Amino acid sequence: MILEHKKKIEGGKFARIRIVVSDDSLESVRITGDFFLYPEGALEKIEGSLKGSRIPFNEDEAEKRILGVLKEEDAELVGITPKDLAEMIGECLK
Amino acid sequence: MKYRFIRVKEFDAFMNMALDEVILERVIQEKALPTIRFFTWKPSSVSIGNFQGAEQEVNVDVCRKEGISIVRRITGGGSVYHDNKGEITYSVIAPEEFFSKDIVKSYEEICTWIIRGLEKLGVKAVFKPINDVHVQGRKISGSAQTRRKGVLLQHGTILYDADNERIALLLKGRTDKYNEKLTRSVKKRITCVKEHCNATKEELISALEESFSKGKEIVISDYEEEELREAQTLASEKYSKNEWNYKR
Repeated sequence: MILEHKKKIEGGKFARIRIVVSDDSLESVRITGDFFLYPEGALEKIEGSLKGSRIPFNEDEAEKRILGVLKEEDAELVGITPKDLAEMIGECLK
Repeated sequence: MKYRFIRVKEFDAFMNMALDEVILERVIQEKALPTIRFFTWKPSSVSIGNFQGAEQEVNVDVCRKEGISIVRRITGGGSVYHDNKGEITYSVIAPEEFFSKDIVKSYEEICTWIIRGLEKLGVKAVFKPINDVHVQGRKISGSAQTRRKGVLLQHGTILYDADNERIALLLKGRTDKYNEKLTRSVKKRITCVKEHCNATKEELISALEESFSKGKEIVISDYEEEELREAQTLASEKYSKNEWNYKR
């Protein structure tokens, strides 16, 4: 099943999340939008880190995974936060 | 701060984005001086942010029909229509330490050069975080930035003459349907230099050249043969390819 959620972050940027869901996990996560992130390759790594997340979905856990990728990649995310992204996935599943 | 300054020149979308990346790499390798370049787009083009979905943002069929190129930038940010006559684009490629470490502050520092340029034409503009310049509450300029190996690339557009109907027709915004309401919504959000003064596009370019040069040691120069060759290769192998432009 494909689910989508889009949001303009207050004082920030616009993002759209599309997830493919199987019975008990996220098969894939696609994040698009007009936010800023560098190095740019960190986005694929963020998406990869969320793949396989269990359902029921744990937003805190997802936020930690995104923060982990940002730290590992020494990446900067501007216009949206890891918490916003995790919450948006949560919204997709509602 | 010593900069190479390259006066306005016209290229296609793929070459414009390839030149930015080639110069970024050359500044990283210290093969090129920190660079400020101005350029226009021929044919008129749409650029999209690195993380945007091409089909989500752009009316691809309309662009194809109208001969408008679509190119994905290496920087984030939103979709932009680069009209051949109606706008001017700049790039600043320089070591990060020339600017604030804080992202929004560094946007503001370069956007202030735009604001000073507009001031010379009698247009009062303000920085609108994160990355825009506004006149009377409407956007006149948007910029996007990335940083790679200690070097900052910021590029952005300054609208001289906006064709709101065309922008509404080519870019989807947050709705998929084109209608008159969308044109009105573009008009509410976007403005251009021509709406606020009688300056010609050449006068706008001169004002920007002056404000971007201020306080810097400037070497007026042209593209190196080698960087043009490298950019042509990158344009044909990356920026003109569907694998890049439609990767999201």
